[in-house]
Amino acid sequence: MRYDSITEVIGDTPLVRISPEIHGLQNVDLYAKLEMLNPFGSVKDRAAWNMVRPLLADDAAGERTVVELSSGNTAKALAVISGMHGLPFKSVTNRMKVPEIKDLLLLLGAEIEELPGQAECLDPTNTEDPLTKIHQMLSADTAAYVHTDQYYNPRNIEAHQSATGPEIIKDLGGAAPDYFIAAVGTAGSSTGSARALRAHDPSVGVIGLVAEKADFIPGIRNIDEVNEVGLFDPATYDTIESVSADEAIDGMLTLVRRCGMLAGPTGGAAYFGAVRHLQAIDAQLTDRKTAVFIVCDRVESYMSYVRKRRPELLRQPARRNSVATLTDAEVEAAPTIDAAAARRWIDEARPLVVDLRGAFAFDALHIPGSINIVDEIFAELIQAGMPFGRSQPVLLACPVGEQSVKYAALLRRMGHTDVRSLSGGIIAWRDAGAALVRD
Amino acid sequence: MSTPLYLAPRLESRLESLLDRPDFLHQLTRALGSPLNIVLPDQIAENVQRFQDVYDRHRLSGTVYFAHKANRSSALVRRLADTAAHIDIASIGELQHALGCGFAPERIMATGPKSSEFLWLAARTGVIVNADSTGELEQLAAIVTKHQLPRVRVLLRLCDFESSGVTVMSRRSRFGTPVAEVPRLLDAMETHRDCVELIGLAYHLDTIGLAEKATALDGCLKVMADCSARGLRPRAIDIGGGFGVDYLADGNQWDEYTSELTNAVLGKRPPLTWRGHGYGLRSEQGTLRGALGLYPAHRPVAGPRYLDELLTSQAPSLGRPLATQLLENLYDLHIEPGRALVDQCGIALARVLEVRDTSGGDCFVRLEMNASDVSLEEHGVLMDPVLVPRPGDDDQAASGPVGAYLIGNLCLEADFITRRLVHFPRRPRVGDLLAFVNTAGYFMDFSADHALHQPIARKVAVYRDGAEWRWCLDENYWPNICTGEDS
Repeated sequence: MRYDSITEVIGDTPLVRISPEIHGLQNVDLYAKLEMLNPFGSVKDRAAWNMVRPLLADDAAGERTVVELSSGNTAKALAVISGMHGLPFKSVTNRMKVPEIKDLLLLLGAEIEELPGQAECLDPTNTEDPLTKIHQMLSADTAAYVHTDQYYNPRNIEAHQSATGPEIIKDLGGAAPDYFIAAVGTAGSSTGSARALRAHDPSVGVIGLVAEKADFIPGIRNIDEVNEVGLFDPATYDTIESVSADEAIDGMLTLVRRCGMLAGPTGGAAYFGAVRHLQAIDAQLTDRKTAVFIVCDRVESYMSYVRKRRPELLRQPARRNSVATLTDAEVEAAPTIDAAAARRWIDEARPLVVDLRGAFAFDALHIPGSINIVDEIFAELIQAGMPFGRSQPVLLACPVGEQSVKYAALLRRMGHTDVRSLSGGIIAWRDAGAALVRD
Repeated sequence: MSTPLYLAPRLESRLESLLDRPDFLHQLTRALGSPLNIVLPDQIAENVQRFQDVYDRHRLSGTVYFAHKANRSSALVRRLADTAAHIDIASIGELQHALGCGFAPERIMATGPKSSEFLWLAARTGVIVNADSTGELEQLAAIVTKHQLPRVRVLLRLCDFESSGVTVMSRRSRFGTPVAEVPRLLDAMETHRDCVELIGLAYHLDTIGLAEKATALDGCLKVMADCSARGLRPRAIDIGGGFGVDYLADGNQWDEYTSELTNAVLGKRPPLTWRGHGYGLRSEQGTLRGALGLYPAHRPVAGPRYLDELLTSQAPSLGRPLATQLLENLYDLHIEPGRALVDQCGIALARVLEVRDTSGGDCFVRLEMNASDVSLEEHGVLMDPVLVPRPGDDDQAASGPVGAYLIGNLCLEADFITRRLVHFPRRPRVGDLLAFVNTAGYFMDFSADHALHQPIARKVAVYRDGAEWRWCLDENYWPNICTGEDS
């Protein structure tokens, strides 16, 4: 397979069967349409390329900035394609909820603008919403911007109607599946694919999945938000069902751990929603049916999403010498010294004074002669090896003496004989009138 | 009628036990008329402690300033004077009120737009001045010089913070000095250092967005370092208020209501509002446009919890949690909650004058109050009033749930207490009271006026004394005499 441009690699994604041992359905063959294997990593590659292609052909596009309201995969695909064509790309978003995607977009050279949050004190005269304002800005200055407008652009649907849907029919040997399940974001992939499938066989059952209202699943809108999507038409779907973030992660776990498909939570939601819907009808079926769901993107970008919702899935082995392993008795027994005594000790014994605060704070003011090892790095040093001997006198200091006493306890456990914690911390030091310098 | 869509208010124990005494509430309205505002001073003391707990958890020092503008009550301010809290005043009248309620000048901070006489009284009494601009700083310095006043402690209010990595857009504020102009502001500070002493920096952003506030606090930390490099020694950062209140008891009711409102706007169900008002939403060819212009009434992360989340979040450019940065830099944290500090501190009562069914099938409940007496609608807070039945009226056969429009006592088409159809568990009757609970923050006396010579609500303070509720007029409340066993 040889190509002249990466954009030619978009589409023609594989359709892979999920083993019945995993989904447990007796009478349904369930297939995953692996849109995550598109070159930029998601189903949005198709829509992004289809929407932006005619705009690039337009001569006037030369200097313009490509703009889209997106906090995820569409922005990613557009950032790549814009970059390939030497155009700047700006993503406007309510909130970047997935930090990995944010960093990736910045890496790709995109500019990101986050819209302001809602006012705490309602101003009734301010009736325009931020999104409308952005639309006005874009339409007012068409010379500066190319707006791909994914929530309204019919070329979003067309990308799937002309390719995603027909690919499924071809891969199923010329038949449409009996059931098609897709998560609803811009409604582009579900609407476009459904149109192509229905044109081939009007009896295809189309199940749209939305997020539960209080939940957030990347790339899926909730039951109210779908109404804000211009491409969304309730008539496209035979049923609309909701999936919770927890269920999406459960579905994702099955795909990544058992099916070898490194799908993200959106694909997980589609798998979960598909199996739940099909389970309910499986027992009544008398002949074999086929069902297809869409795996939208890959798992790697969602580690912080998983960490936040299901931290137990990312379990870390406990470290031997970490503050978490300290007992109350050990902390109690750690030697401390108050500000007045510490000043005398510094004059007499010249201990190494280690300030555990952040570099920014240390830079502003610190105890004369102290060195700065930020607590996070200090914790690493404890694992890797301390830069001083066990008999070295050391005074540990932090803001109020809470962190330093724990590290003093740890060092004591590790055999350091003369480590003390500054009780009351730098604040007590300051309040005692002792010197703090900026040098 | 279809399933009633309730928006039940969140009630904590003090408010709940007060509402449990319909006889007491009816007695008060009989004596003092309708509408009637009730404040619960002991609750504000408890609320101060909840914010203090967040400080303690993060080992932070600093002060809670009550934003007085949320409520004009004397009882609340006097009770607050008896706690560790300080007060933020935004007019010369509020300054006089705070001084008269027992706040010594050290515990008062003047913010907002200031007249020359306001600045003089602030400087003369020695309150902290939260300076809005270089011009205001210079005006203050001139007053201090001319009247030979002692040095005034000032905070400098900043705005237009720059974000790193991602552009965090923020609505422009009419208050504060843009960060880009800080060098000139600090020049003025140094020029007038005989008249003014810089004790800290401040900001207040009118947004519920944490990211914007984190960016602003991060920006203040950097300006504090600039001050320090100039030899100035500010010690405090004042992050303003806007911590919010959770008004509703049940998040599912809010989710269900807003979904149904969306459906009503799209024409998929009968309207939920008078004349199909959409609260900012509209339908364009079946697609929903606009934005919901409502306060997010169900907000589990509000008040002290919101502060906790902000302090726990990372400083966007400096790294490490914001609380850690404040602590490590030895800075005090000042906050100015208004609404959040008077959470659960008051109710507005109104008598039902008439219950009328129209030929169109609507039910109107006319109240002895008007929309300006309880400005929930103006602030976009949707929350059901609590029905307080007339005593001795309990044995009548109760009707089923009913949806009604609440109309006011002004001879004005627009005088709706709310444009929303309010659902009640039973049909209100003439003589019942409706209690609009949790209205002490901005909804009670902020906009009330004498239009049509209608009375403005009187205000009373109530407090628990063992099992009994006691009351006095708001102006007669003093913390040492109006006290009981509040359990």
